[in-house]
Amino acid sequence: MPKIKISILILISVIILLVSLCLGPRVINPLSLDDLEKEIMLSIRLPRFIVAVLMGMALGASGAVLQGILRNPLADPYILGISSGASLTAAFGLISGYYFLGKFTIPLTAFIGASVVSIIVSAFGWKRGGLWPERLLLAGVGLSFLFQAVLMLLISTSPDEGMRRAVLWIFGDLSIADWSLIPYGFVLVILGLGISISRSKALNALVLGDEFAHSLGFSVYKERVLLFLSVVLMTAASVSLGGIIGFIGLLMPHIVRFSIGADNRFLIPASALCGGAFLCVADLIGKLIMPPAEIPSGIITAIIGSPYFLYLLRRKDVLNL
Amino acid sequence: MSSTYNHTILQLDNVTFQYPGDKTFITHLTFSVGNAEFIGLLGANGSGKSTILKLASGILKPSEGSVSLWGKPLHSYKNKDRAKLLCYLPQLLDINVPFTVREVVSMGLYPYDIHPEMSADEAIEIVGLKEKSGSYIRNLSGGEKRRTFIAMTLLQGAGLLLLDEPLANLDIKYQIEILRLLGELKEKKNISIIMALHDINIALQFEKVMLIKDGKVLGAGNPGAVLTKDLLKEAFDVNIAVKKHDSGGAYISYGNNF
Repeated sequence: MPKIKISILILISVIILLVSLCLGPRVINPLSLDDLEKEIMLSIRLPRFIVAVLMGMALGASGAVLQGILRNPLADPYILGISSGASLTAAFGLISGYYFLGKFTIPLTAFIGASVVSIIVSAFGWKRGGLWPERLLLAGVGLSFLFQAVLMLLISTSPDEGMRRAVLWIFGDLSIADWSLIPYGFVLVILGLGISISRSKALNALVLGDEFAHSLGFSVYKERVLLFLSVVLMTAASVSLGGIIGFIGLLMPHIVRFSIGADNRFLIPASALCGGAFLCVADLIGKLIMPPAEIPSGIITAIIGSPYFLYLLRRKDVLNL
Repeated sequence: MSSTYNHTILQLDNVTFQYPGDKTFITHLTFSVGNAEFIGLLGANGSGKSTILKLASGILKPSEGSVSLWGKPLHSYKNKDRAKLLCYLPQLLDINVPFTVREVVSMGLYPYDIHPEMSADEAIEIVGLKEKSGSYIRNLSGGEKRRTFIAMTLLQGAGLLLLDEPLANLDIKYQIEILRLLGELKEKKNISIIMALHDINIALQFEKVMLIKDGKVLGAGNPGAVLTKDLLKEAFDVNIAVKKHDSGGAYISYGNNF
């Protein structure tokens, strides 16, 4: 049991989280806050921090679950088309400029998109009373291409302001974060995380193979549906909170697997924790690099994540999930 | 030399099965497995050995007929309860999973809320992989992988083991080792075993064999009675015969086949 490694991972993540809360265009000492700093902390930094942590956790954990149920090391939460569907509906809302629910318009349209697409993908992935990983994967990839094409069509034919906002949002825009979104995100992410952690033994058995899972006393179809549901909840919550942020869902499970092993009982919570910490750092870098302009976090995670992933690919046997 | 037993553990009654969109594969199959029986399942490729084991384990559901375990319909068991009584080990063709030996073996405890007496380390030691318990499955040889999964099966502690070619691609040493291990389990814990296998010479050492062709039982019982020239010809479509060695042991003669 890699208890020491897990403890180190938790410690590092918590330190990163605390430090990223204090740093920013203005460095804040949480032990001696003046009124302005209190205001900055409570109305800007803390909600944004919590949204980043929730999104990062959702992406890290759902990446780990998906790589397990699809038995594919290249799977990430976006491969099933859920996020492309969500971004399409949200972008449609953004570009049309029709804010029928105020700040909740984007999360709501994204969530509706994610839910509808996950139902379509599972309908394609469903055969003989169960969800089949290969069918899910192919349906997701196929639908993603379609949604991306429609999205590009929307963006390329839309007026300038709507387009800029849509593009920013698609690359992960945490600047819309405020307290109003947090209860909604919190409930969905914790629910998804709770389901996936409670089914982690079944996921281990499914990674061995369906027949092993059956022999070890799991209902293969039921477990796969529950795990898929946890991914849908977390991905939909994450996309609707702050757009599409790449690489966390792909990268975090691999980094965690290399450090503490592949047992999903530890892999899922640890990927969530590291995902949260990583997105906080990416958001911080995005705010600090060219102030007052902000670079969307999705761009930062891809710029840091991609070379590191390639480095891992060279060093470790990443294809052996 | 057939064993005497009191209980029927597993009963397949008039089982018929077909894969979706395919012709009927298993037709009216009936057989039972008694307490502490060790049965070898023999047949050519595609004869239905694996399908029979999957039907017996509940992975596949018969389109007609019934499968019962300890006198109750197999599907009436809760999954976890069934897993404590019956363990199925699929064919391990090229299994590459990201787990260590200890992680895989420990999964044998998943059906249990309260852990049984055997620990994962003991199961690993029994199959001779103590030094490799922290190694990743992908770094093991084929034989070591197989022994890892046998250790998981041991830890699961079910009274009926359905093993799909557990001896394939193993050195003779480990084939003997695994058979000895399973033989011991049968003696000490009254475990019943059905094992699909290809090696007729090994099947000759079993107490009971079932010869399968096209999803039907050609013969079942003592190997001496079942593995006859005619039945082997029918099952494998080749002329082979069982001969007696000077020392008294039986062996397969390939005649003029090559």
